[in-house]
Amino acid sequence: MTTVPVVSSSITIPSIHYLAILPVIILLGASVVLVFATALVRTKVTQFVASSVTVAASVAVLVVTYFQWRCLDSSGPSTTIAHAIVLDGFSVVATGVVAVSLLMATLVAHDWALRERIVGAEYQILALAASAGAVLMTQANDLVVIFLGLEILSLGLYVLVAFDRHRHTSAEAALKYFLLGGFASAIFIYGAALVYGATGSTNLSTMSYFLASNVLTHPGLLYAGFALLIVGFSFKIAAVPFHLWSPDVYEGAPTPVTGFMASIVKVGAFAAFVRVLISALGTQIDTWRPILWVLVVLTTVVGASVALLQRNAKRMLAYSSINHAGFILLGIWAGTTRGVASTLFYIVTYAPTVVATFAVVTLVGGLGDENHSIGGYRGLARRQPWLGASMCVLLLSQLGAPLTSGFYAKYSVLASTIDVGGSPLALIALLSAAIAACFYLRWSSALYSDEPVEATRIVVPLSTGIVIGVGVAMTLVFGIWPGPLVTLCQHATLLFTP
Amino acid sequence: MDQYLPILGLLLLGVLFASGSLVASAWLAPHKRPTDAKLAPYECGIVPESEPPQRFPVRFYLVAMIFVIFDIEVVFMYPFAVVFRQLHVFGLIEILTFSLTVFAALVFLVSEGALQWGPVKYLTPGMPERTSSSTIVRIGRDDPEQAA
Repeated sequence: MTTVPVVSSSITIPSIHYLAILPVIILLGASVVLVFATALVRTKVTQFVASSVTVAASVAVLVVTYFQWRCLDSSGPSTTIAHAIVLDGFSVVATGVVAVSLLMATLVAHDWALRERIVGAEYQILALAASAGAVLMTQANDLVVIFLGLEILSLGLYVLVAFDRHRHTSAEAALKYFLLGGFASAIFIYGAALVYGATGSTNLSTMSYFLASNVLTHPGLLYAGFALLIVGFSFKIAAVPFHLWSPDVYEGAPTPVTGFMASIVKVGAFAAFVRVLISALGTQIDTWRPILWVLVVLTTVVGASVALLQRNAKRMLAYSSINHAGFILLGIWAGTTRGVASTLFYIVTYAPTVVATFAVVTLVGGLGDENHSIGGYRGLARRQPWLGASMCVLLLSQLGAPLTSGFYAKYSVLASTIDVGGSPLALIALLSAAIAACFYLRWSSALYSDEPVEATRIVVPLSTGIVIGVGVAMTLVFGIWPGPLVTLCQHATLLFTP
Repeated sequence: MDQYLPILGLLLLGVLFASGSLVASAWLAPHKRPTDAKLAPYECGIVPESEPPQRFPVRFYLVAMIFVIFDIEVVFMYPFAVVFRQLHVFGLIEILTFSLTVFAALVFLVSEGALQWGPVKYLTPGMPERTSSSTIVRIGRDDPEQAA
């Protein structure tokens, strides 16, 4: 006798841990509030109000991450909403970095918007929404949620890149970014579909358990899937050979937007990348390592060498960020807990540095955001010692000079690589850093050049000045005294590591 | 395998329709053979050196966005409507939050003038400080501030 299965009429609503998703709610909520304000208030929402709301939202997120950290201390990492969202140390720290980047970038953009006479709150609305996407990516424990976060992040940024209506390079950059970003998203989702086909789940932890307890007799589908996932992520982090959009977009985008995207895209994409490769596909490390090896070599070497040829500050910083992406990939290549911690440390220190660097570039760019040749920096430190010295410190930190946070960041990823027998790879990366040192030093020495140059004095507005000061302070403090931050990153482990 | 047969049929129909339309269009259309000169915009007989910009009112995009907003709303409303009894109050709160978020986009669009067709009723001042006193320097007076 066959039994007819009883169709249950009740739906189990998954439990929701609201503390875990509170950062996303705050950021998206602030964004929606600003949309309503823009629509319903008769006069235009002033920059001051819009920036204040954004700053308040990012400070609120920072406070929430503190409570999340305490919750982790007491009850340990957990997943929520049917295991789609994960609350672990890694996600909490990465969320904090997104909030700090948003805070700093908003302050820079505030002065920029006043200078360029941009009215309305659209910039802040889009920045808040993009940050919500980045936070979602750091917390995602499911390929579909990662994709959702990636799209929210990217769609906000496509519009932000086109924000400068007076320069058509801005629109051109946005179109390039949009087309290549859409292409990358399609590749990513195709990879996710193939991995789902091979493992039967899009959930990262389920995938990890499945791969740990089963041996695939025909792993071709899985390999094709995660190769496509790696390509999708490589587009987003601008790893060579998927980097071609990056210099054009960095150059075309309004400078504060460039700083913003250079920091939060790196945080979001790398956090999700770490989770996919190490949490979900950790058992396949022998297969994806060679792919990453090639990516690291190409990214570090091409990024550093092509940067040498650049005469435009923003393009040079774009190639410099490509070089940095290679270094961050080193930590993932290592695949160990130490590697993950060093990747996180690199992201935590790199994000504020890059926002502050682009804050200086915004100021030097001047009205119209056009003056970006390296020549414009000649003698800057002679004319304005504080601004010039700040830029010098920020550049030296990106170079990896001792006593700046960049030094320990580079040291820790290289050490974690050598730990697992990657000495040749570490050597190649180190050589690329030596090449990169040429252009950082050339730029720094231009700052201190003696040649008399006719240049107007750059006015440093208050909030941009604060951002530059905070960026330099973080660089120096974490450079001289990295201990607490290193400990934090070591405690901020992933929920699943095989 | 039988259950996939309709999909194959649909695929064939699609290919037939697409190729059929192309063939029909090539066969039925009058053969005017466009040349470069015929396709170029009229520039008083001068060969244009650069591509002239094409005007395309942004309103069309705004209408498309209104469509997308309602589209997205309906995509989630239908599944909700099917199971709203099982979801109880939680589902109601969720869908209201969702609707509010989507509604924000609609309100924003309307405030931007997406529904105002026809002649422009008002213009948003792009540079609020520009008045006749700030831009026009009156000859014979040294200080434009005083002249105003």
